[in-house]
Amino acid sequence: MKPLSGIRIADFTVHAAGPFFTHMLSQLGAECIKIESALRPDIFRKPHPVYGRNGPASFDQVASNKLSVRINLKHPDGVALAKRLVAASDVAAESFRPGVMNRLGLSYDELRKVKQDIVMVSVSSSGQSGPDSHFAGYAPLFGAWGGLGYLTGYADGPPVEMRHVMDHSVGLNAAMATIAALLQRRRTGEGTHVDVAAREVASAAIGEALLEAAAGGTPRRMGNGDLRMSPHGAFATRDPDRWLTIAVDDDRQWLAFAALIEQAGRTVDANFESASYRQTHQVLVDELVAGWAAQQDAEEAARLLQSHGIPAHVSWTTEDIAADPHLRARRTIIDVAEPDGRMRAAIGVPIRFSETSDVGIVRGTPRLGEDEDYVFGELLGIGAAERQRLADAQIIY
Amino acid sequence: MVAAVPVNQSQKPLAGIRVVELSQGVAAAYCGRLLAVLGAEVTLLEPPGGHRLRAEPPFLPGAAGSSALFAYLAAGKRSYVHEADAGLGVVPDELLREAHILVHDVPVAETEAQGLDSETLAQRFPNLINLSVLPFGAQGPKADWRAEEINAIHAAGEGFLLPNGLSVELFPDRPPLKIYGHFAAVQAGVAAALGALSALWVGKGQSVDVSVQDAALAVGCFAIQRLGDGSVEHRAGRSFKYGGVLECRDGFVEVLTLEERQWQGMVELMDRPAWATDGTLDDPLERSRRGAELNGHIRAWARQHEVAEIVGRAQALGVPMARYNAPADVLNGPHERARGLFQTVEVDGAGPTPMLVAPFHFGGAPLRLRGGPPALGADGPVTMTETSLQARAAR
Repeated sequence: MKPLSGIRIADFTVHAAGPFFTHMLSQLGAECIKIESALRPDIFRKPHPVYGRNGPASFDQVASNKLSVRINLKHPDGVALAKRLVAASDVAAESFRPGVMNRLGLSYDELRKVKQDIVMVSVSSSGQSGPDSHFAGYAPLFGAWGGLGYLTGYADGPPVEMRHVMDHSVGLNAAMATIAALLQRRRTGEGTHVDVAAREVASAAIGEALLEAAAGGTPRRMGNGDLRMSPHGAFATRDPDRWLTIAVDDDRQWLAFAALIEQAGRTVDANFESASYRQTHQVLVDELVAGWAAQQDAEEAARLLQSHGIPAHVSWTTEDIAADPHLRARRTIIDVAEPDGRMRAAIGVPIRFSETSDVGIVRGTPRLGEDEDYVFGELLGIGAAERQRLADAQIIY
Repeated sequence: MVAAVPVNQSQKPLAGIRVVELSQGVAAAYCGRLLAVLGAEVTLLEPPGGHRLRAEPPFLPGAAGSSALFAYLAAGKRSYVHEADAGLGVVPDELLREAHILVHDVPVAETEAQGLDSETLAQRFPNLINLSVLPFGAQGPKADWRAEEINAIHAAGEGFLLPNGLSVELFPDRPPLKIYGHFAAVQAGVAAALGALSALWVGKGQSVDVSVQDAALAVGCFAIQRLGDGSVEHRAGRSFKYGGVLECRDGFVEVLTLEERQWQGMVELMDRPAWATDGTLDDPLERSRRGAELNGHIRAWARQHEVAEIVGRAQALGVPMARYNAPADVLNGPHERARGLFQTVEVDGAGPTPMLVAPFHFGGAPLRLRGGPPALGADGPVTMTETSLQARAAR
């Protein structure tokens, strides 16, 4: 049995962060019912030309595993239907702008009236409270507000945009917080409202820099540099755009690395045996390592360094990752079938349990409204005539 | 300001949950930190010389050798000093018998000697959740590989795809870039906490295996998705066609207009310049095609303005725009203050210092840390009892 079997989620989330959150829980075994309507499908079902192409960008990964129903939330009867679904659920998940659920009549207080111990989880760009709570935002803005974007980048360059990893980090945090809330419900009998703020997730990733700043320091962008380790960086190898990352953690590792560099016919300054010397003479160290790396096959060099206990890895392309035996052995990379039967690589849940081997994606993207027989019929016990009436009135629509 | 709601430890989500942490790296430590702020009692086992991250920069200015990284990660935990001969196992039975969760990053090759391998733990502590957080996980051909943050984020693909936008335009030939700090390890910490709590929900002991590479890859899943769609991403091409990072007179902002009305708001924000209003740019695909040209105009416009001026107007016009906040901006942000994102805690050498608490609220209020980082061994030495010593000798 999967860890979260028996937990049901009424899933109102849209875009990236929210759907990734419920995607994580669905892979762990929760039954996740995605609520959309033909009037307002998840925007990620639609194309975004700003990405430079006119096809749906990224819906399949996070919609997989979920059940799909249509409810028109613009109609009072649609709201009533949504509440019936919430009453049959453990978790209500949403990622609208703060205030939208209230306006729809689906606030935490309203949901508690139909399900006293509901765990409501709201994911938004800036949280449910505070002067900026109404702000619209996407991943690059979360990173910008939260400070992570400012600190990422070359020392002499501009800040860097955070992309989907930022959205999904928010979703991962929300999934974790949801289980904490469910454990609390189990202990106390009380539900709660969990409020996940995306910009705060960005800030939480730089907690140490914020603390440094609070004590009067000025953290700055530093590219691939590290405040202690040297060498530390991504180095060009003999093949174009093929980079080897190396991080020498201590002097023992440096001695092993220096021996390899000398075997390759280069002279290594004995002063480099001191970590603090390497740190203050990073430019010289990097020059030496770059000269060595430029002669190497990246994968062979990574294996060589690892065999001497030195942290190293190739800067992998997406194709490298999709083909990797280690990731496939762990079932981190799996193959899933699309509705048209085509196979594609997908990412499973990043957790292995000794007592459960079947976590992960078990079915692909649902068609809009694909699971209404089960959800409206079996689960909510709505008869065929009533469902037809709701469809005719454009409530199931 | 949010009223300072005194949160009783017993009212926190994970009240009553006991965690033992034996960590060296950021991922396992961040997992423990999350569990601690959620109300679990987290016992950090440190060697006599102190946790490895106590000596890791960045250090707090003015507080010689006091690590900001350790302070952030250890806040709210208890510190116990274990015995020095780590090779024989340092976690006493007494602690494991009482614990719900053991979170550790002991390399696979060393778990058996430490008595922390899955089989031994399952046999001796059948109710314990044994959570391993390693760079490449505890299983698979690369389980013994080492990785620091820069290796892990590049092993997970996001490294190769950074930087993007303005940065890669300016420096197309530079090496790909890691995200600042410990982003991949932080993802693993969150995934590990999710795994441990999911196992706790099931209610029986088991081993949970989390890898930093897996976690960072999971949050980067769209690159794999797009590969399946037939498009291979590269940092040089992974830029929004227009918008993105803009340099203003006094700093940087981010703007992203995914929706038509947001683009129209952007045109308003720029006071309807002729180049944007000649009708040809009403088609979003045309805008996308002429992205570089649009960016030339937008960037020239941004350079004439100050951040505060255009950010304020942008949000009023429904244009998603944000200042690239420096750490001090976040720390002093009115929004962050109103939400109680920071809590002043005592930090060794630095005194009372505001520290980020957690990126979520429960029940309409911020969580509260039990305190700052513990002094080494603040909660006492761990002494091995006779049964622990016997169990250790038997290995």
